[in-house]
Order: sequence, then structure tokens, then C-alpha cells
Amino acid sequence: MSPDRFIFGVVMLPLLGAAIAFIAKAFGRDRWTKGLEYLGAFVGLGLPWVVMVATLPLVLEGGALEGVVGLWNPAVGIFYRFDGLAWMVNLLGFSVAGAAWIYSLGSGPKGPAFTAVFLIQTSALAATSMTADIFNLFVCLEVMGIASYVLIASSDKPGSFLAAFSYLMVSGTAMVFFLLGIYGFYRLTGYLSYQGIATGLASLPNFGGVTGILSLALITAAVAIRVAIMPLYGWLPDSHALAPHPVSAVLSGVLIKTPLFALSRVLLLLPLGAQAGELMGYAGAITALVAVVIALAQKDSKRLLAYHTVSQIGYVVAAWGAAIAVGVHTSLGALLMAGAFLHALFHALFKGLLFLSVGTATDTAGERNVYQLRGAGRILGRAGERFPVTTLTFFVAALAITAMPPMNGFASKTFLTYGLKGTWQYSLLFAASLGTMASFIKLSRIFWPPKKSTLTEPVETNPDKPMDPVHPARKIAQGLLALACIGTGLGAPALFALTTELFSSGPRAAGTTLGALARAPQLYSVDTLQTTLWILIGGIMVFLGAGTPWGSGLLRVVRERPRSFRGLFVSFSLGVAGLSAWLLFI
Amino acid sequence: MTPRRVFSALWSILPLVISLVAVGAILIPIFLESTPWPVEARNHLEDQGVAESGAQNLVSAVYLGYRAFDTLGETIVLLVAVSGTIGIIARAKGALAKGFDREDKGSPVPAVALAAGTTSLSAPPPRLRRAKTRTDLLEVVTGKLGPVVLVFGFYVMLYGHLSPGGGFQGGVVIASGIVFLALGGKEGASTRLTEAGVLARLEAMAFFFLVLAAFLGMFMGSGFFTNFLAGVGLPSVGFIILLNIIIGLKVGAGIGFMGIAMLSRVEGAKGEEVNHD
Repeated sequence: MSPDRFIFGVVMLPLLGAAIAFIAKAFGRDRWTKGLEYLGAFVGLGLPWVVMVATLPLVLEGGALEGVVGLWNPAVGIFYRFDGLAWMVNLLGFSVAGAAWIYSLGSGPKGPAFTAVFLIQTSALAATSMTADIFNLFVCLEVMGIASYVLIASSDKPGSFLAAFSYLMVSGTAMVFFLLGIYGFYRLTGYLSYQGIATGLASLPNFGGVTGILSLALITAAVAIRVAIMPLYGWLPDSHALAPHPVSAVLSGVLIKTPLFALSRVLLLLPLGAQAGELMGYAGAITALVAVVIALAQKDSKRLLAYHTVSQIGYVVAAWGAAIAVGVHTSLGALLMAGAFLHALFHALFKGLLFLSVGTATDTAGERNVYQLRGAGRILGRAGERFPVTTLTFFVAALAITAMPPMNGFASKTFLTYGLKGTWQYSLLFAASLGTMASFIKLSRIFWPPKKSTLTEPVETNPDKPMDPVHPARKIAQGLLALACIGTGLGAPALFALTTELFSSGPRAAGTTLGALARAPQLYSVDTLQTTLWILIGGIMVFLGAGTPWGSGLLRVVRERPRSFRGLFVSFSLGVAGLSAWLLFI
Repeated sequence: MTPRRVFSALWSILPLVISLVAVGAILIPIFLESTPWPVEARNHLEDQGVAESGAQNLVSAVYLGYRAFDTLGETIVLLVAVSGTIGIIARAKGALAKGFDREDKGSPVPAVALAAGTTSLSAPPPRLRRAKTRTDLLEVVTGKLGPVVLVFGFYVMLYGHLSPGGGFQGGVVIASGIVFLALGGKEGASTRLTEAGVLARLEAMAFFFLVLAAFLGMFMGSGFFTNFLAGVGLPSVGFIILLNIIIGLKVGAGIGFMGIAMLSRVEGAKGEEVNHD
């Protein structure tokens, strides 16, 4: 069978798995239910790897599978394109989703309904990565969104319904505007495929004028909501902090990046796409710094992690936007794009691991407050964790996110910032690194031994309370992700080469090979290690500074800043207006 | 009203005004666009739509033929929405009370939650009381109309390739027939179509066959989501009829299931069916 026949396996196998899980749910109540559910998960999360392996040779050669779904006439059909970019995004999606599903066996939410919705989300990720049709992108984003609202609401944390509801409302509103943007492009060109829109716009005087620009702004801003960059990030902290741990891992790790890389296909083809990317890159750099300051102020450990997601996606968007602005054909653009992707991939691994390991620790201790919980390692030990998997994996992930060698975060941040050196974004990202370091010193205190003078953790006060032993599935998932963090860190130069190679089949006209253009910067040079040392020292200083009365007062102001439901919508409309103005007048 | 209060009232609607002005300024140029309408897709549908898809109703040809993949996605949106709604209904009582009345010490209730009107939602959701919401009139009318509506729903679903209608529309009509039957039927009535478990099974099987129908083209047709029925020699419109039936059953069962759940029959009859955890 030729690859273009089975390539939709990455989308349809998770759907088939979901269908099997739904059948298990509907016909259940006997011993087959569990078996069917696990079969569904295997079909949905295991079998796509076969497709991935089978298509690897093709994308490595710079090839791409493209065509129209159902082999209809291109004027009306749906275009798809499976290339290196899609392959990489799927790699990210299936690895984190697989680990998170295994973790969910130990932590909940359990049951065939959860598995089914989880698999549908995974399927939407795969579909988003390979669509080349703007209305199909809308459908993919809708499926992805609705699955995540349901998954967030499946948490039993107080407030999770409301978090899901505000996400639903703000993202539903944004999707209406996305649809209006599609209307604008269709009105101008009569096509829905990216390529059709691009050629249609090129044939119009002034590329479609104001309508073309505004349509682009509407589409870009609606995707930016999903990516959660400033000022459109407001829905994220609640949803990610209140979702069940495995869902948080997938939401933070994969779900917010897939739309970004799907958008890059649009922006690279359309006129003014480079300018839109440039503004998003600026917003990304600002996001990285602002979000880390808010993160540093948080008390709740998962909320702290959620703000770090916003901050880290800011890094990715900063490099991604700069890459789109200079064009991915240039060597600088290729370097930045590869750095952005690698950071997205590595962040998926280490942030997934952080959510899972912190989730295990806080679940076992029954305490999520960073200032209260101490000695989590010992509590886990009492819960039957003889080999401190959770503690070790937490520190692996913390070292990765703070960019300490040899973890993967060090490699990707080095690649990413190397391309931005000398710009003002670089300074913002450097400052954000100090904040990241400081806030992870703060978070790692949950594993420090309890101080005699301060409050002891609640579990210490009633030792009679029986403790749930840590489920082996949790340890397996954490172990897998930790190995991936270390492995990708050590193999980062090779991965960088692979990424640039794969992106050479990316969304662009045939011709130059990208791999030859981008040279991986030296990872372990005096310069990079010196930067790391400065980040370490600076981070400790910031951490100490935050502990002073003045610092903690400032952080309290940040923590208790007013936030409102209405603010989400106001910031969206201002975001659209700002982007439109930028595209119209610059 | 003191000037101070007028000012604060104005201040509070200022963001709304700014948002509306911004959005209006962006949308109006798009709607006032004056370039000639593109015609390529229209011409293609006009010339070859019927021949290619076999469906007289070109709307069906578009959403079950040319863009069936999008339709699959929209069907999934509905499926997940129904599944999520059922999950929320099943757990709403406990979780809503937990989410709005009590504060978790570890995590402060988000400010978003507070701003969204905590007080109005803090009361437990009103439960439908059978005695008060049911009357003889309602039972007689809905009970008699139910089968008729069901038949009409099947008609709309099965003739979707020829006349306006199709799987989604027919499915919703079927769902209203199911809800009518549920409203009209007495306990122990002769239909099993109003049982949540039956509907859930129907929906799950319909979804499975929908995925299968998309898949089979890879093996029996000429590629993903191609017409596998044409591969075995049936007329090409057969694929659209098949998809209409599958989608109609799925939508009917799904929405009907949700209707039954909202009539608060799910918890009593099939509590474990809807338990998400």
C-alpha cells in the first residue's frame, strides 16, 4: 500500500480507538469493558507509531504527501499535506499523549469515556498538523477545543467547570471571528486551501486590500488565543491548573503548540504573513517575561506551572515569529524555526513531566500550596515509593526548564536564543530565564526537608491517615518522560540536524534544502556555559530578592491583580484591533 | 444619580464600548467588500456536482462528498459535546456545590470564577419534578405525535440526497421524536427507544461505523474517505445515503440521549452508564 493511502491513519486510528472506547462504555458492565478500552487506547496511541515509522524515510528525503481528501476536484475538495513539519508535530503529540494516558491509569480520570475523549483530542492534533485547508483547520481547532473543554471539566477540582466554561466562551468567540476571516478570504479568492488563497490573493490588486489584511488578522488572532500569548493568555492558567494532571500535561505540552505550527503554514504562504509573524514574535518575547513574573508570585503549585507554560510558549513564539519574519529560507530563519520547534518539543516533554511529578507529589501529600508543602520526598517514601522516582524526575524536569546542561531545555534555549542574539527580545528572554530559575528554586522547596519552626505539612499532623500508594503507572509515565528529557538533551545536536532536515520539506516552495543552510550553534562553548552560570547566579539573586518583604509585597500585588471574565473578551478584541492596525499601517 | 455614579457606570461599560467599536471597525470592511464574487467552485458544482457525487441535492454533495472530512469533524464535535454534557449533568449536583460554595484551601477560587457571578449559580440546580411538569395534555399529545415525528425524521434522513435535509437535520427530528416519546410514554411503555442505555449503544455503534466508512476507502476504494461502495460496483450516491443514515442515527441517538438526560432519567435508570470517572 502506498503511503498516501494510509497516511490518514494518524488521524483515523485514534478515532477508531475512540469509537472502540465508546462502544466499551455503551455496552460495558462486564469484564470485556476494560479490555476493549485498553484495545482502543492501543489502537489510538500505539498503532499510529507504525504509520509514523513507515513515513519517516519519505519525510527524511524531503518529500511530502499531499493531495485532496477523497480525491475530489481541487476546486472544492480539502487539501492536506503531510511533510516534515507534520511528522514532527505528530511525534510531539503522540509521545506526550501516550505517556499521559499511561499516567491516567494511575491517577484518574479513568474510564472509557475519558479514554474516548482523550483519543479524539489526539486525533484532532494529528489532523491539525497536516491540514492545508483553512476551513478544515477551523474544524480541527473546534474538535480539539471541545475535547479539551470536556477534559478540563472532568476534573473534580473546585472551579474546573468554570475554568472550562471561560475557555469555551473565549475560544468559541474567537472561532466565530476565525470563521469571519475565512469568509473574507473565500469572498476574495473563492478558495479554501492555503495554496488556493495565496495564489488568489496574488492575482488581486494590492493582495485583496483591506479585506485581505483584516481576514488575516482575524485568523491569526483566533489562533493566538489557543496559543495563549499576551494579551490573550487569560483563560489558560485556570484551565491548566484545574484540569486532571495527565490532561494538564497534554494541554500544556502539545495542545497549545499544534495551532501555532499549523498557523505557520498559513503565514508562510500569504502576503503580509511575515509581518503578522513578526508582531506575534514580539508579543511572545514580552509574554515570556511577564508570565514568569506572575508565575513567581503564585502559591498553588499547578497554577505556577501553568504560568510557566505561558512563559515558555512565549520563548517558542518569539523565535517562531522572528523566523517567519525573516523567512524560513534564510539560514537565520531556519535556525530560529528549528530552535522554536525543538523548544516546543522539549517543553512538551519536561512540562508534561513537571505536571505529572508535581501532581503525584501534591496528590500524595494532599497539599498544593508551595509555601505549605515540605518534605514531599519523605511523604512519597512513606506512601511506598522506595526508589524516589517522583523526586528524581521532578528535578530532571526542573533542571530542563531552567536550562541547565545537559538537559534538553538547555539545548533548545541555547539554539533559540542564539538566533535572537543582539535583539531586544534576547534581553527579555534572558530576564525571563532568571525568573524561571528563581521560581523553580521556589517550587523545588516542596521537596526540601520541613523546617522545625514553620508549619509542618498536614500529613505529618495526622499520621493515622492511610496513604494511597503511588500507582506504578504514574512512575512508568514519569520515568519514560524523564528518560526522554535526558535523552533528547544529550542527542540535541543530532535532533537539531534532523529537525532542519525535516523542515526542508516544510511549507515552502521546492528548491533549496534547508538542512544545508542552518548550522547548529556550538552547544557547550565557554559562551553558553557562561550564560548558564549567569542565569544560575541571577536566578538565585531573584529568588532571594523575592523573599524580602519588598519583593514579596510586590509579588502579592501581582498575584492579587484584578482578573475578570469580561477581561478575556476585551483583551481579545484589543488584540485583534492591535494586529489589524499593525498590518494596515506598518 | 450623582455624577460620581454616572461616571462609574460609564467607566464600567467603557471596555464593552471599546470592544464593540474595535470589532465593528474590523468587520465592516469585510462585509462591504466589492470585488466580484468568485465563481470557480460554483461553476464546478453546477456542471459536475451531480455527476461526480450522484446526489441531486448539491448541499449533500458538498457536505457528504467533497467535504465529508469536515463533516466527520463536526459530527465529532457533537459527539464530544453530548458526552461532556452528560458527564456534567451526571456530576453537576455534587461538583457544582463543591465548586461554588466551598473554597479549597490549597487553591484559591479563581478570580475569573468570582467575576462570573458566583452568587447566581450557587443555588443547587433546580430538579425537574415529574408531578408538576407533566399534564395529561402533554402526555397525550406528545405520545401520539412521537411516532409521526420519528417517521418524518427518517424520511428527512433517507431522502437527504434528493431534497433538502440529510443526516443532521433528520437526526435532530428523530431526537425530537425520541424526546416526545419520553415525555408521552408512561413508565413501562412499549418502546425501548427512550432508554438511555439503548441510545448510548446506538450512538457508539453509529460513530464506529462512521469511522469505518471513512477507513474502508483506504482498502476498498482509492484512498482515505473515497467512496468504497463504488469500489464494489454500487452507484456512487450510495455512499452519501449510507453516510446520511449513519449520521442521522448518531445525531438522533446523541441528542435524544441528551434530551433524556435533561429529563433527569439518566441518573435513575442508568447511573453507571454516564459516570465518567
